[in-house]
Amino acid sequence: MADLYAAHWRRAHRAAYLIVHDAAAAEDVAQDAFLAAIGALDRFDRRRPFGPWLHRIVANRAIDWARREGLRRRVDAEREGEAERAPAPRPGPEIDEGVMAALAGLPADQRAVVVLRHLLEYSPGEIARMLELPRGTVNSRLRRALDRLGELLEDER
Amino acid sequence: MSAPGIEQRLPGLLREAPVPGATEAERRGHAVVAAAFAERGEADRLPVSAEAPRGRPASLPRLALGLLIAALAAALLLSPAGASVRHWVGDVFTDNAPKAHPGLTAIPGGGRLLVQSADGPWVVQADGSRRLLGDYSEATWSPHGLFVGTASGRTLNAVEPDGTPHWTLNAPGPVTDPRWWAGKYRIAYRAGNELRVVAGDGSGDHLLARGTAPVAPVWSPTGLRQLAFVEGGVSRPPRLTFADAESGAPLDSAAALPSTFKIEWADPVHGLLEVSRSVLRIRALQLGENGAIAIQGSTRLPSPGGRIEDASVAPAGDRVAVVARLGHGERTRSSVLLYEGDAGPRRLLTLPGRLSQVVFSPDSRRLLVAWPDADEWLFVPVGKGQPQAVGDVSAAFAPGSKGAVAFPTVEGWCCAR
Repeated sequence: MADLYAAHWRRAHRAAYLIVHDAAAAEDVAQDAFLAAIGALDRFDRRRPFGPWLHRIVANRAIDWARREGLRRRVDAEREGEAERAPAPRPGPEIDEGVMAALAGLPADQRAVVVLRHLLEYSPGEIARMLELPRGTVNSRLRRALDRLGELLEDER
Repeated sequence: MSAPGIEQRLPGLLREAPVPGATEAERRGHAVVAAAFAERGEADRLPVSAEAPRGRPASLPRLALGLLIAALAAALLLSPAGASVRHWVGDVFTDNAPKAHPGLTAIPGGGRLLVQSADGPWVVQADGSRRLLGDYSEATWSPHGLFVGTASGRTLNAVEPDGTPHWTLNAPGPVTDPRWWAGKYRIAYRAGNELRVVAGDGSGDHLLARGTAPVAPVWSPTGLRQLAFVEGGVSRPPRLTFADAESGAPLDSAAALPSTFKIEWADPVHGLLEVSRSVLRIRALQLGENGAIAIQGSTRLPSPGGRIEDASVAPAGDRVAVVARLGHGERTRSSVLLYEGDAGPRRLLTLPGRLSQVVFSPDSRRLLVAWPDADEWLFVPVGKGQPQAVGDVSAAFAPGSKGAVAFPTVEGWCCAR
């Protein structure tokens, strides 16, 4: 168990944080993903690697959390009549400059494909299977995310 | 910057971006995950591939990384959280259940109990005598035990402990989770998913919040009109919210634990305990002038090592008792754990089957632990002394019933007079 945990926790937790940009939520997402994976071990083909299975749970839960949080912010803002002034999702306190600030400005589903592709190094086909999306959608999200990152970084120069 | 340039830089930036509280999160996660493995009984025989992660090899040499992991594991096993996990993993169950006395002849430690059965709530006096209050689905003590707030369908009621009705209020939805304010004469309750507040004489009923989660609200023990409750939980993430109970003005709010099922004030006024099935978390609170409350941060308590069935804060606010369940089916066993100070939990006892509830006595010196599988209540001293057991609990609150009856729920242990 210690080997499994040591091999996977940090990357799973980091991936969750880079998608949700909230330390407490990232910890909950990573913990819940591990617990869900453990709870479903009976259905898991143990000859296959554990990592992609865990990362799939992490990514989907992190996207769900980020979407719900975004919806909650909009509802709260509308309730207070401040929809026009509702701030964009803010980066975490440590993610405050350069490429990371630009990443924080992307929608959660784009952040997720960027993290899966460029942190966890899955291919677009693998990401498509993990997120149950058409491969073309993954490619287009990646392209839009990289274009947006490029624009934001160019603006900073 | 061109897309290829970003693609080249992104992997390194993503790997090196700081993650706040990563070390503490890793330690807490280990405790939770180890406990879950132990619960499955698979910690030592899990043949899942622990393949090295993809991507660039770690910068540390393999041997150094191995030593680091070993040191981490050792530190975890010696930490309070790890100690509790090790305790679970190596636990050998011993039957330390006390011999039960049939029937409730007296409440150890005194006081009065409010007990909810299928027939309705009962008041149990210190000598064990008991009275059914009526056909109500929930009940709560008033601060000094002079009244009982009860719920029945869409009505909120105040009745005297002998069952005499005092007043009835028609609510806009099914009434649940009534809670009487210790500071003044107010009752908070949920009507459907609305949180409402009414004066203790049934007047001044007003809406406080919509869209609340099915979690009982808690009043501040400071005597001020502050109320904590959980919003959302179905279509939006749950939020722990503090509000002024008169004006409804929000005081502060933060994300609640997923699947929070209980909150209680703690520490003794500067904390609030959140309880989910896997996590115990204390929110630190800063109390300002004019009833202001600011959430300052949170601390997770070491994992109890199993599914959390119930948790209770001592009336003094300085201790937390937890019942946790480990294993499944015939291998199920449950423990009562006590958290006090900064140390890890102290296990008071472990028993076969499921323990469903833990309630502190008014003087914080005993625990009432519900053991439905044995049809018993256990009165467990927090300090020295032997537990006392009372048997045939179900039948005591279902006179005349034949066949199986539901195990009753303790709604409160009140204020010895």
